[in-house]
Amino acid sequence: MQALLQRRITAFAILAGCLLPVGNSAQAQSPAPSDAVLYIIYPHDGQRIRGSFPVRFGLRNMGVTHAGDTTPNTGHHHLLIDVQEDIDPGEPLPTDRQHLHFGAGQTETRLELPPGRHTLQLVLGDAEHKPFKPMLTSKKVTITILPPRIRKAPQTSRAER
Amino acid sequence: MPGESTSHVAGSQRRLAAILAADIAGYSRLMGNDEEGTLVRLKRHRREIVEPTLQEHYGRLVKTTGDGFLAMFDSPLEAVRCAIVIQQSMAARNTSLPPDQWIRYRIGVNLGDVIVDPDDVYGEGVNIAARLENLADPGGVLISGGVYEQIKNKLVCGYQSMGDEKLKNITDPVRIYRVLPDPASVARAARHHWIWVSSGAAALLILGGVGWSIMKPEPSVGGRQVSMAERPAAGPPGAMPAEPSQTDSSSAGGGSTAASLPGMPPTPPASGSALPIPIQPIPPSAGPGSKTPPSVVAAIPPPAKPGETSSGSTFRDCQGCPELVRIAGGSFRMGSDEDSSEKPLRLVQVAAFAIGRYPVTVAEWNQCVAAKACADVARGDNDDPVRNLSWLDAQQYAGWLAQSTGIPYRLPSEAEWEYAARAGSSSRYWWGEKMAPKMANCKGCGDPYDTHAPLKVGSLSPNPFGLADVSGGVAQWVADCWHPTYQGAPTDGSAWAEPNCREHVLRGGSWRNDASYARSASRSHYDTGVRYPAHGLRIARSL
Repeated sequence: MQALLQRRITAFAILAGCLLPVGNSAQAQSPAPSDAVLYIIYPHDGQRIRGSFPVRFGLRNMGVTHAGDTTPNTGHHHLLIDVQEDIDPGEPLPTDRQHLHFGAGQTETRLELPPGRHTLQLVLGDAEHKPFKPMLTSKKVTITILPPRIRKAPQTSRAER
Repeated sequence: MPGESTSHVAGSQRRLAAILAADIAGYSRLMGNDEEGTLVRLKRHRREIVEPTLQEHYGRLVKTTGDGFLAMFDSPLEAVRCAIVIQQSMAARNTSLPPDQWIRYRIGVNLGDVIVDPDDVYGEGVNIAARLENLADPGGVLISGGVYEQIKNKLVCGYQSMGDEKLKNITDPVRIYRVLPDPASVARAARHHWIWVSSGAAALLILGGVGWSIMKPEPSVGGRQVSMAERPAAGPPGAMPAEPSQTDSSSAGGGSTAASLPGMPPTPPASGSALPIPIQPIPPSAGPGSKTPPSVVAAIPPPAKPGETSSGSTFRDCQGCPELVRIAGGSFRMGSDEDSSEKPLRLVQVAAFAIGRYPVTVAEWNQCVAAKACADVARGDNDDPVRNLSWLDAQQYAGWLAQSTGIPYRLPSEAEWEYAARAGSSSRYWWGEKMAPKMANCKGCGDPYDTHAPLKVGSLSPNPFGLADVSGGVAQWVADCWHPTYQGAPTDGSAWAEPNCREHVLRGGSWRNDASYARSASRSHYDTGVRYPAHGLRIARSL
């Protein structure tokens, strides 16, 4: 409860300071400790992968929690796939096929991407899915998904269209 | 009923048919562990998976035995497709359970000359199917050489030859093939044959790949659970609407609804031990040119003309209740070919129902807040759509409304939502194939548009059924649990529910998504217990 109160006060103070119109989503960003580091444990940059693969999320000097939890210095992961656009710091991170949310506090997932080059990047979001200030993003990892291996085995046959 | 449209019931006659025999592996062990529970689940699977899948594939259920069933098909291709769909659906159901509670079918399919009675079939053709079933691994499908010859060039699957086998009490040896739904697994199966033999679980988990997630994020084992801690409202709730509804018992009702709802499930699906391998989706009816039995075609209503049917008339059950649109029942082609999540395209029947003309508004939501049955999360003006809701929030509102009015309000099923949103159309959007100005509230879809918030409800043109805001605005929670494809989905318009469902379905896309998400068939999903500012709801009820 104290955390809630604290947050509301901070939010209010910043709002008042900026004289922003009190719009629907004009709320302050949550502060993140300056030594916090967000990173992708796996896969590695430049890795070539066949088939589905796990993605493991790493976070130092902050805690992972579920969305909606306003405890200071905690957040939840968002995985951005092939996103080129800049992230809007004042808006909740979008949710769509390229922005996956892990609002239950997940720290890994499994992906299946079409063959070709792809980028992966993590962004830590606060209780309201907004980026922290300073924004916590991982290094953008580029991976190459290889086409599925076709191999003919003895004693088997495969029907083709 | 498509199965009954084939006329093989007159007297005892011989005919060529594909026979599918199935039974449950370890049935007596399951019954020994938990007799009543197993029976309940068995019956549910029969009702929700076996019977609809048979029907989809134009099969006829000949009879059920204690732990299995016998079905016949005109087409061996349909029979094998049906077997695969049943196995994949069962695998998906099992993933949330401990292995000792798994119900797994063994299935055999044979093509043969059989004697057909009104309520049974006889002959060596049936016996061979039964023997194949006996030899199959739990979760596996074996077919005879005759079936293989018919389907090998038509069904893209892996087929692994098991050689000729002398079956008990069958004169000639029978060539047997194992069906591997994923062609890529052929090589694997051949290289690691022992895996298949020694562990049916591996096969099952691979099959489960389709039923479970391909693209879906899977939570880590260490993922924390969502508590339903309330969040502070961002601003003062909008002015209360004029008439607070009659809600004496409402808070208790709403509370109990919430309490009985499953939160985040404690057991994640077994994900560490096996990789979800992509499986070629096998649509039960391949493409638009595929056959449809005449009896079903006749059930499709003529293109919707709201003036002629009762569809489109609006009403309100109480003052302050959301305005509803009456939707006449019918059937429609649900889904599309544009995204894997929207396949396979299939015919779905929907009974008459009523659905909100608009998404639930802030004013409507705040009545529930005032009754202390809903969380105080609404921001914005009275006629803004309520948003920042989790599925549990949406469910709570429906429960409160039902409790306080005595009318069976609920979330719409995904099928009902799409049926109402399409309003008789089969195009990408209800107005046609292309995005048009002043039709949808989405990113890049034209003015009016505000990047920070959705438009007020009813700002854009309603569809022919009278529903507004089905394209963009707030994405709307529906009753269904998220499944990555429609493989195995019900076709009777009911919601596809799962116990302890981790993610539910949202329809319509939001104002923050682009035009492709505003299509009638577009589906998205989100964690059941997590709120997001672009997520709202539309209410429904049966008539």
